[in-house]
Amino acid sequence: MTTEQQNLATARFVRLPSIAERKMGPGYIAPVRLDPRVLEQMQQTISVLGRQYCDTLSRQIHELLPQIVDVCSGVAGARHRFYETVHDMRGLAGTFGHPIVGRFAKSLCGYMEKFDVIDATIVRFYVEAMRDALEQDKPDERLADETLRSLEQLIIRTGMADPTAFKQHAG
Amino acid sequence: MNTSQDSVNITPLANIKILVVEDSETMRTLLTALLSAMGIGEIICATNGDEGVAAFAAHAPDLIITDGMMQPMTGYAMTRAIRAMHEHNGSDVPVVMLSGHGDPDIVEWARDEGVNDYIVKPVTPQLLYERVLAAIEKPLHIVESGIYRGPSPRRRLTAHHAATDTNKAG
Repeated sequence: MTTEQQNLATARFVRLPSIAERKMGPGYIAPVRLDPRVLEQMQQTISVLGRQYCDTLSRQIHELLPQIVDVCSGVAGARHRFYETVHDMRGLAGTFGHPIVGRFAKSLCGYMEKFDVIDATIVRFYVEAMRDALEQDKPDERLADETLRSLEQLIIRTGMADPTAFKQHAG
Repeated sequence: MNTSQDSVNITPLANIKILVVEDSETMRTLLTALLSAMGIGEIICATNGDEGVAAFAAHAPDLIITDGMMQPMTGYAMTRAIRAMHEHNGSDVPVVMLSGHGDPDIVEWARDEGVNDYIVKPVTPQLLYERVLAAIEKPLHIVESGIYRGPSPRRRLTAHHAATDTNKAG
């Protein structure tokens, strides 16, 4: 029997008390239910922070546009900074009521993750689509779907035209 | 002046201590504010995996909420490092990953490193609230063998999404 087999043979399962059982005292009765008043307070928090975030998002998008040439021509550090900003938008825009901006950011992140060489025109389309979605009171979801599909088709065609643009590890 | 009826502090989470590890300042601010609104008693913040490991050793949080991709140390590597900190009971602390990446292979990677629960960004208040309560209430099942102590490597890890909250990987 190998050491690994011996370890597996002697493995045992331990049930530890939950955090609630350990920390919430004798008054704890399972389960703790979602409290609508707490949820309301959390929603208010989002509303307050969302007003500040909208300004930040607008500024970030406008700052992305002049960076595109540097990002796509390989200026040291430019691509990393650009990706970090877009990645931030991908995680936050949806939470603060801008889901379409978040979807474009997610798709742009995916493009940057898959390709070593990225096309300035495609990146510009993405950033302009995010800017337009933010500036509209009620962005058109169907138009966003179509734009995303078109961009992803364009990316596939670009990749087929220049397979070396794909990252080494990308499938 | 608030009376006890006015204040929303009816969930008894004041004894709970949570470590938030997140490199985005805006996301840290958001998470801290939402956890405070939930009534969490103590929230400690770190900006990357290295700081997260140090904060875990220093503060012994009840729960960790971490981003995935951070530099220099990722949330995945941090979780592995914490699971190996036997002197601090690192195998026993629930880790909830909050990541922009919902691909099944990345969720599996998180599971293999010892993550207990997985939320795909963007997060909503309800989803965060639900997953934190789940982490707090669920008993922990730990595997102990000669070389390993931690969450079962064969467990199922579900990626929770705000929109659909459907299972994306096992």
